[in-house]
Amino acid sequence: MSSNQTVTVKVTRRFKASPERVFDAWLDPAKARLFLFATPTGQVVRADIDARVGGRFLIVDRRDGDDVAHEGEYLEIVRPRRLIFTFGVPKYSKEYSRVTIDIVPAAGGCELTLSHEGVLAEYADKTPEGWGMIFDGLAKLL
Amino acid sequence: MILAVKPLDMTLMALADPTRRAILQRLSRGEARVTELAAPFPISLNSVSKHIRILERARLVRRRRAGREHLLSLEQQPLEEAAAWMAAQRNIWNARLDVLEALLEAEDAAASHRDPNP
Repeated sequence: MSSNQTVTVKVTRRFKASPERVFDAWLDPAKARLFLFATPTGQVVRADIDARVGGRFLIVDRRDGDDVAHEGEYLEIVRPRRLIFTFGVPKYSKEYSRVTIDIVPAAGGCELTLSHEGVLAEYADKTPEGWGMIFDGLAKLL
Repeated sequence: MILAVKPLDMTLMALADPTRRAILQRLSRGEARVTELAAPFPISLNSVSKHIRILERARLVRRRRAGREHLLSLEQQPLEEAAAWMAAQRNIWNARLDVLEALLEAEDAAASHRDPNP
């Protein structure tokens, strides 16, 4: 199996805020600690963000006294259109996946598309049609 | 955690190949012989058999014997599990985006409170 095969999860969201505000939230530790990798029952005890290409982030969520570190590296930062970072939870896996955020202006705000690639390591199809196809297929099969 | 993920890894790995997906599509229409499955593909019977073995290991395909024939059929449960897992991943991100949305709206509310005539 070639190494460029991954599983991609994709979500899209409309915001009533400018692309800049939505973009900046991902790189602002004060905001990121509230929405990114926070869990309802956990508490983010650390949020370090070095917002430059090659810079790293570390967000630690304390769950029942157990610290879970989420970390990664910024690969692309094009404000306010695009942000790409790697992402891993070393406690659970050695694998790093890759998150791409695309933001386009839309009526009354913007639209954000998030693609999380390699969510389960290098196991499935990377082509955009790949997972769409699989799950179109699944919908027909089930 | 790791035990729960392993069969899913197998499923996703099996689904990662277009030939194997096509085989599953064909089986979704009903049981088939290996030779029937192989017919539409421009590859050898041998490589189709290899794909089928991967699908069997991932429990996506079941084989039964009827006399001298081997009949293959689709096993749905792993597919359902893979679909559920994908949905769960999407839910996690949607929940994060919910919080981000609420966060930005709270900021707007606070701003218009400070400045009632923006």
